[in-house]
Amino acid sequence: MQRRDFLKVVLAGAGVTFLGTSAVHAHHGWAWATDEKFEITGTIITVKLGNPHGELTLDATGENKGEKWTIEIGQPWRNERAGLTKALLKTGTEVTILGKRAKDPKLKVAKAERVTIAGKNYDLYPERLGS
Amino acid sequence: MFESIEQWPIAAELRGSTWAYPFVNAAHIVGIALLFGAIVPLDLRLAGFWRGVPVAPLRRVLVPIAVLGLCLAITAGVLLFIAKAADYAASALFQAKMVLVALALANAAALRLAPAWRAKEETAASIAGIWPRIAGIASMVLWFSAILLGRLVGYFKDYPGLTWAE
Repeated sequence: MQRRDFLKVVLAGAGVTFLGTSAVHAHHGWAWATDEKFEITGTIITVKLGNPHGELTLDATGENKGEKWTIEIGQPWRNERAGLTKALLKTGTEVTILGKRAKDPKLKVAKAERVTIAGKNYDLYPERLGS
Repeated sequence: MFESIEQWPIAAELRGSTWAYPFVNAAHIVGIALLFGAIVPLDLRLAGFWRGVPVAPLRRVLVPIAVLGLCLAITAGVLLFIAKAADYAASALFQAKMVLVALALANAAALRLAPAWRAKEETAASIAGIWPRIAGIASMVLWFSAILLGRLVGYFKDYPGLTWAE
């Protein structure tokens, strides 16, 4: 009886975990993004820095003109390592983002690997940018 | 109101920190682990598993652990919340999570006030019946759902329709 109970508990737990994980579409990390390089340029509308990660909203220019994009940048230590300071990220500043966009075409969200401001590159993920 | 919470010195400190934020994050997880880890055996016992095991000693060990975990999870959770209060407050997933936590706590409180649970000496009748069984199953479902939604808050933050308009 006890052994059977244990088995039932394990099976129920496994079932619940499977249902939970199979439904999830990752946002943290990189799983939610495509593998292709994505570039977008725009002017900064809002800036929110800090944990769990910083976030910019951009009024896109060029081929994405008229769209409002949300760009994930790093957590404090990553931005600091790249030299990306609060003073650089002022509303109205034009920035170019190189990174990965969300797979879901409805989602105007991208994660930055490199931020370019006034011709200068700030590499948040040098190891992902490669050479 | 939530924007002003984000301006609190402790909120700004956490937002800008390198180590404090992941530490608080870990504390939140440890709290949840203690709470959920302690409550599942109790809930399963209520739901009808391990009928040969007396409830009283199980309760004596597991209830304080669950309460400790709850306190830790709430304390760390409040700290995580204030760091980005406006975003979380606007998130439908976060709001739903809070409703589930409230329901889970109400379920626990109802169980605690129930005569079967209050009875010092366990009798055959005290833990039998459909209500403790329902409460045990409801407790597991509610806490698990709250944990799942808590994770989804991070994963679906920018998904259209899951955040109320600014």
